[in-house]
Amino acid sequence: MACVNPVPKLYRSVIEDVIEGVRDLFAEEGIEEHVLKDLKQLWETKILQSKATEDFFRNSVHSSLFVLQLPHSLHQTLQSSTASLVIPAGRTLPSFTTAELGTSNSSANFTFPGYPIHVPAGVTLQTVSGHLYKVNVPIMVTQTSGGANILQHPIQHVFQQLGQPSVIQTGVPRLNPCSLQATAEKAQRMDMVLQQPAALHSGPVDKKHLENASSDTLVPPGNEPKLVSEALLSQQGNSQFISLPGVTFPSQVSQTDSNVEPVLGISDGMTQNLHGGPLTIGPLGALHQHMTDVQLHVKNLVYDCESVKQPRNTEEASSIAVSQKGSNSQMDLSIQVTGDYINEIIQIDGTDDTSSNEEIESIKDVDENEFLGITDAGDRKVLEEADSVSNEDSTANSSDNEDHHIDIVEEDPLNSGDDVSEQDVPDLFDTDNVIVCQYDKVHRSKNKWKFYLKDGVMCFGGRDYVFAKAIGDAEW
Amino acid sequence: MDADSDVALDILITNVVCVFRTRCHLNLRKIALEGANVIYKRDVGKVLMKLRKPRITATIWSSGKIICTGATSEEEAKFGARRLARSLQKLGFQVIFTDFKVVNVLAVCNMPFEIRLPEFTKNNRPHASYEPELHPAVCYRIKSLRATLQIFSTGSITVTGPNVKAVAAAVEQIYPFVFESRKEIL
Repeated sequence: MACVNPVPKLYRSVIEDVIEGVRDLFAEEGIEEHVLKDLKQLWETKILQSKATEDFFRNSVHSSLFVLQLPHSLHQTLQSSTASLVIPAGRTLPSFTTAELGTSNSSANFTFPGYPIHVPAGVTLQTVSGHLYKVNVPIMVTQTSGGANILQHPIQHVFQQLGQPSVIQTGVPRLNPCSLQATAEKAQRMDMVLQQPAALHSGPVDKKHLENASSDTLVPPGNEPKLVSEALLSQQGNSQFISLPGVTFPSQVSQTDSNVEPVLGISDGMTQNLHGGPLTIGPLGALHQHMTDVQLHVKNLVYDCESVKQPRNTEEASSIAVSQKGSNSQMDLSIQVTGDYINEIIQIDGTDDTSSNEEIESIKDVDENEFLGITDAGDRKVLEEADSVSNEDSTANSSDNEDHHIDIVEEDPLNSGDDVSEQDVPDLFDTDNVIVCQYDKVHRSKNKWKFYLKDGVMCFGGRDYVFAKAIGDAEW
Repeated sequence: MDADSDVALDILITNVVCVFRTRCHLNLRKIALEGANVIYKRDVGKVLMKLRKPRITATIWSSGKIICTGATSEEEAKFGARRLARSLQKLGFQVIFTDFKVVNVLAVCNMPFEIRLPEFTKNNRPHASYEPELHPAVCYRIKSLRATLQIFSTGSITVTGPNVKAVAAAVEQIYPFVFESRKEIL
């Protein structure tokens, strides 16, 4: 899964551009350089304080501890004792060979801030919290801001279940923030993903394998190693994530910009959401999706552990970084397999979709109100006195209706609709969920609205997200 | 005689259209920007404002004339119109609620029998007009009530008139004629 957040990068680039742009102007005006610096500092501080984006500056200072456990033999089953290997921070992984890892209990502890790390096949990753992450194919792990935190959680689950071949890890809720992030590189990954549509199919196959195998080692399907390698290959850059096996949605790529993907393009299953789903579903969905994605990812890793032979792992390893969006179907399949452990997995999509339409609709309504306009609070006071006698007035009017001469005169005093209350509901509660964007098309049928938006920034739940394309549905 | 005029028929009012004036010029742009639940149709020069509570849609012109549609009863129409005027007042316009008038009432009625339209048309020559190739219903106009009824062969009748009373009277009037040309189920 991609944990790349484009927002901090974008914001930082905006700040840089603006500062550079006004530098000359400031100089012309005779304002000193430090004023400009102060301005920039202030700006960045405000962004940090607002928590609108996460990890605004954490990228560079983040360090996570990863303990890589290498199996003493790649060809051995999971039961074999594993060696721990910790990848040192800040450097691309040393290439481990199976020979190095041959000795049991050989362990090396590396702490790395999550910088790109290349993990060769047959390595079991264990985070500080003790989760095991077995990789049968070479993977590349890069760091996203806040990635360490994220990894700890899922790996914990993985660890528990690694002991049992049939076990599958549980969800990784913490991966959500990562999942929401997308970078332009994702587009690359998406392209690569497109090339690996077969990866999708291997999922179910793996599941079956898992079901059948107890402690028996499974020979993963040919795609599996590819999946894992793809999954774990992460995109370069300052994003660290353990990408899930290549379950991607080529269709998603075509629809949306890569930036949008994590937010909106959850998976094939969520395609409908992308199209018709409310806009707000995006972030929520992405969160959930990534949770499931991570689950799937870990599971695939587990599958790999069970496999005895991984001859192709190395060759399958590709530089393709794929983030798994996880198709719904695949997710569902995988979740079914996990059995008991599924309970721990919070499935947000599919039948257990927890994203409520009402919630989204209400949020959409808010957005809609943004579009439609905001009642000026000041104007509301205009007729507080009006809340007086509309009732009397209406009764008076009804009696006057028969008398047409008096009609016009009597109806004059609206009495500010004493009865004619203020709107039944002050619809326009000014929420903080705002989208600022351009629109391609806004369409209405009776009370059903459809929004086709583009190039926008939205503040949702205090966080900022950017998108190049957004599609929304709402009911008024 | 062969019609029971005491039969209780459910007349469902589906739409009430009314108009009123605000007696003041309205700045459509301001309404569009500051009003709630508005749609600005700049090309035709009107603003649509939708209300939820009485579910009505009002078309507002800058001259101050407002047409209010979608209500299900006359009282509701008036209520909604006043609410609308109130909301305009809150936006800052000096609105006076005048010239309220229900312009059109649309109702639907269902006969418990089917009707033979050609026969009905023959019996009601001047008032009924039937062009099956154009429209599957007979159009029956009652001049005195200024009401129009659309009679379908299924027995369903759509009535439009200037107010609810006229609509009810129209249904009462048409019943015997329709009853004459009903399709008897053997």
